[in-house]
Amino acid sequence: CKSRFEKLRLSNDVSKKYQEGIRLYNKKDYSKALILFEGLAQKYRGTAEAEDLNYYYAFTLYRLKDYTTARYKFKEFADTYPNSKYAEECRYYGAYCYYLDSPNSSLDQENTYKAIDALQLFINYYPKSERAVQAAQYIANLRDKLETKAFDNAKLYYTLGGYDVAYYRSAVVALKNTQIEFPDIKYIEEIDLLIVKSQYMYAKNSYPHRQEERFQEAIGYYNEFMEAHPDSKLVSEAKQLKEDSEAGIASARKILAKEAEEAAKYAALAKKDEKQKDTTTKKAEIKTPIK
Amino acid sequence: PARPSLTVNGLDLDYFNPKEYIIGGTTLSGSKYTDKEVIIILSKLTRGETITLPGEATANAIKNLWLQGLFDDVKLNISKIVSDTVYFDIEVVERPRLTAFEFIGVTKSQKTDIAERLQDKAGKTIINDNLYNTTKAIINKYLLDKGYFFTTIDFKSKPDTNQENSVILQVLIDKGKRVKVHEINFTGNKDFKSAKLRKFLKKTKQQAFYKVFGSGKFNKEKYEEDKVKLIAKMQENGYREAAILKDSIYRYNDKSIGIDIDLHEGPKYYFGNITWVGNAKYTTEFLEKVFGIEKGQLFSEEKLEAKLRGSANGDDVSSVYLNDGYLTFNIDPVQTKIYNDTVDIEMRIYEGPQYTNNKISVVGNTITNDRVVLRNVYTKPGEKFSKELLVRSIREIGQLGNFDESKTNPIPKPNAADGTVDIEYHVEEKPSDQVELSGGFGGGRVIGTLGLTFNNFSLRNIFNGEAYKPLPKGDGQKLSLRGQTNGKFYQSYSFSFSEPWFGGKKPVSFGLSAFTSLQSNGLSASSSDFQKIRLNGVSVSLGRKLKWPDNWFSLSHAVNLNQYVLNNYPGYLFSTGTSYNLNLTQEIARDSRNHNIFPTGGAYLKFTIQATPPYSLLNNVNYAIASDKLRYKFTEYHKWKFESQWFQTIATLGSKQLVLKAQAQFGFLGSYNNAVGQSAFERFKLGGDGMQGFDFLQGSELIAMRGYSNNSVVPLGANTTIAQSSGSPIFTKYVIELRYPVISSQQATAFLTTFAEGGNTWNKFSDYNPFNIRRSIGVGAKIFLPIFGLLGIDYGYGFDKIPGIPDANKGQFHFSIAQQIGGFN
Repeated sequence: CKSRFEKLRLSNDVSKKYQEGIRLYNKKDYSKALILFEGLAQKYRGTAEAEDLNYYYAFTLYRLKDYTTARYKFKEFADTYPNSKYAEECRYYGAYCYYLDSPNSSLDQENTYKAIDALQLFINYYPKSERAVQAAQYIANLRDKLETKAFDNAKLYYTLGGYDVAYYRSAVVALKNTQIEFPDIKYIEEIDLLIVKSQYMYAKNSYPHRQEERFQEAIGYYNEFMEAHPDSKLVSEAKQLKEDSEAGIASARKILAKEAEEAAKYAALAKKDEKQKDTTTKKAEIKTPIK
Repeated sequence: PARPSLTVNGLDLDYFNPKEYIIGGTTLSGSKYTDKEVIIILSKLTRGETITLPGEATANAIKNLWLQGLFDDVKLNISKIVSDTVYFDIEVVERPRLTAFEFIGVTKSQKTDIAERLQDKAGKTIINDNLYNTTKAIINKYLLDKGYFFTTIDFKSKPDTNQENSVILQVLIDKGKRVKVHEINFTGNKDFKSAKLRKFLKKTKQQAFYKVFGSGKFNKEKYEEDKVKLIAKMQENGYREAAILKDSIYRYNDKSIGIDIDLHEGPKYYFGNITWVGNAKYTTEFLEKVFGIEKGQLFSEEKLEAKLRGSANGDDVSSVYLNDGYLTFNIDPVQTKIYNDTVDIEMRIYEGPQYTNNKISVVGNTITNDRVVLRNVYTKPGEKFSKELLVRSIREIGQLGNFDESKTNPIPKPNAADGTVDIEYHVEEKPSDQVELSGGFGGGRVIGTLGLTFNNFSLRNIFNGEAYKPLPKGDGQKLSLRGQTNGKFYQSYSFSFSEPWFGGKKPVSFGLSAFTSLQSNGLSASSSDFQKIRLNGVSVSLGRKLKWPDNWFSLSHAVNLNQYVLNNYPGYLFSTGTSYNLNLTQEIARDSRNHNIFPTGGAYLKFTIQATPPYSLLNNVNYAIASDKLRYKFTEYHKWKFESQWFQTIATLGSKQLVLKAQAQFGFLGSYNNAVGQSAFERFKLGGDGMQGFDFLQGSELIAMRGYSNNSVVPLGANTTIAQSSGSPIFTKYVIELRYPVISSQQATAFLTTFAEGGNTWNKFSDYNPFNIRRSIGVGAKIFLPIFGLLGIDYGYGFDKIPGIPDANKGQFHFSIAQQIGGFN
């Protein structure tokens, strides 16, 4: 025994199906409405009702949270009926679907970039629309997300430094790349300080003979930090890193001096030994048969 | 020359002099079924708009109407022009619309294949000659590729009652017989015998009475591939000029065809002088050594390519450079001189700059968080580019188990200006969660199992409602839950959680697991005949990857606490009492297998020590006279295990590799104190499928050995009942296995195996003899399905009788299922 809906779905009464689809949509029974609209979209090709039908079709998908298909339908609508009274709304919702599909900052941001493009396109089309203000706000949110992603991923290398010292050097490179990519990033102070910190940690965990140069680099980054953010809350922390770096240089020099001293001592001893051994080695040489 | 112009109603439209007009109106003629207004709207020639004539707008109008797929012809006429106002008339020719195809005369799977190839037509176009022709051509080509040479296709249309002016197109296909290859003839070959050349055609075979399977059915696609392979094979043998001059396929009779191939063979060539130019970083001597081909060797383009660029294990010339930052390195082997049968080669090298990694990013991770991938990537910003590390990174990403390994693709984007390279790791998520839901029949009762494994869990988000899709995912943690019960007789529940990067800073894995299981004879607890064994346990583990001796090593520690409660339970060293087992496990492993499911190279070594505190040395129990209760209260033992697996590709057949797996395992359970005796628990049970099934976690370790029934390989002269239910303290097992993949796709990996095994158990170390083993041979098949894990069926034949267990050896079937990859022992 088939339900009334099933009977209607299988029937050929298109206008009744259309009426029922709209009724179901208004009743918020979107999944049933979708089934009817899907079937009707093909059949209404090239008719006057197609415009309204496609409008409802797109919104049904949107209500069902199938944003990927919905945004395609919205775009299709706006492209087919550019003069429709719904065109602006559909362009906006098409872009908004991308916005809703933009994932967490720690995942692939393909949809975020597409959302920014789509929202920007909307603003370009309808700069005076009330929705343009909202669209601009969404763009700002998405940019924020991209900044967070860049910062988190660069910071990851600093976090991993404890496991492998080479990551500290990677952190410096990655953090600087973030600066270049997002010059006015909101995390700029943290980034600049983290560069000093990463370079300091890198130097600290290096062999003594590489330390001075690397600490110097850290002090260089400290100077850049102070120049950019003289009034930052993080100044005291930066200063501490600079002092530690200076101390590091002093201790590295001391170690190197001591090593040099020892090496000289051994060299002197070895020379002394050689003089004593001179006679014995000569004897040995004679003993060795030559070919 | 005359200017192109358009004369309409005496008015001249000049292409060099377009003018603006106002549209005064548009009419539509020739339409019967379509709505006129809508067509006019779609043409965008709306009344009142301005239009440039001649111009793009008119062309677009026609294009837009064509796109509707409703008309056989569209014409745009200017009906009149009154001063600056233009009137259009759109003239269309309507045809019935095509709503669907119906294919008659082909199999169901062919129907879907054909429908797929025609999918842009149904419901979107009209019926005209063009449709007939393209449809016919597409179906013909499809069937030709499948080996049907003599196909006839007819059309019949019937009106679609659902819609006016619509038609369902019936396609009547007479496939005819699938043709076979009667003969393959070669001409122009001197050094190669025709029979040998026929062998080079792997998929195109002559008919022959002895070929029972796949006897020479012809497939055009495969034939084209075979031709390329034929030439490649000849060139591999030094015939660098080899080529097909002409080939023809002709009709032999109704059922078969013949193939003639005319070859140019040319002489056999050898390598002559090899010179190197353009190398600054590495010396010629060094490069010659890496290259390895010397003057006088048989000339082969394939070998040359392999030694310059292609080898898998990275001992080619390109790898030397690519592992040292020379990303844009290029080498061009130029054949400078060919005399008689000798080819001189000049290696022209372009070294380019040494590149440094800059930005490393992940693309395509729609579920798994960036950091989970990035922390496993070996190419770091600020380091020299290295192909080897790139390859290693792919392997590590693959081992996460969340991505389709065949689609993990690193894309280096070099920036020549500053000598840096950005690397994008493109990945594609795959379903990694596994569900086990089964009902089985065991011990005369129905037994139900529910197991869930989430391989990409996120514990952080467990209280974050938004993250449930349908579970919080993306942190690469693993959570599994499993329950198995048949009511009163048997119940078992387990839980485990693991985090590969505990704290997020170092690759220190953390694991926590707990289980409880109960087995009883089903009587009420107050009954005097009540028998049961209950096991409870928890364990905590920490493990980490090592950087020394090399970075394939890993080390792990675990603390386990198990409790065994026995009540009249037979088959153990004691039957009533409670025993505790608190132990510390240390494990060191080296895993260099190149693939999770079907390794084609690499090795896996594992050494484990497990020990309990030596209670007997610390307490004052006199074990010689102690009661069972006291004696077994605290289990004490030390256990040593070693396992090695080794994989080697021994032949490559097309894209598939025949792999040899060799495995050796050894286990020893020792006691601290002779007076205490050997532990009743934690022994080894050898034989069978190695599955933790009905006797899940009975305080012993199950080791598979095909060709013998479950747990049946017991020491000579042992009490078979006890040895079978509690296991034996010493075992050794060897496996040698040949594996060949039959399916290797994202959806499934399946391979066939043939194996020989040998193994045995002993009660005392003084009896131990690694060469005194029980042997078996057999064949099997395994299939890995992402959602089920690895399923296997093996047939083994055990040669050696086990005294006291009559059905232990001879032919044995083994079914196995492993949820975790590598779960087979």
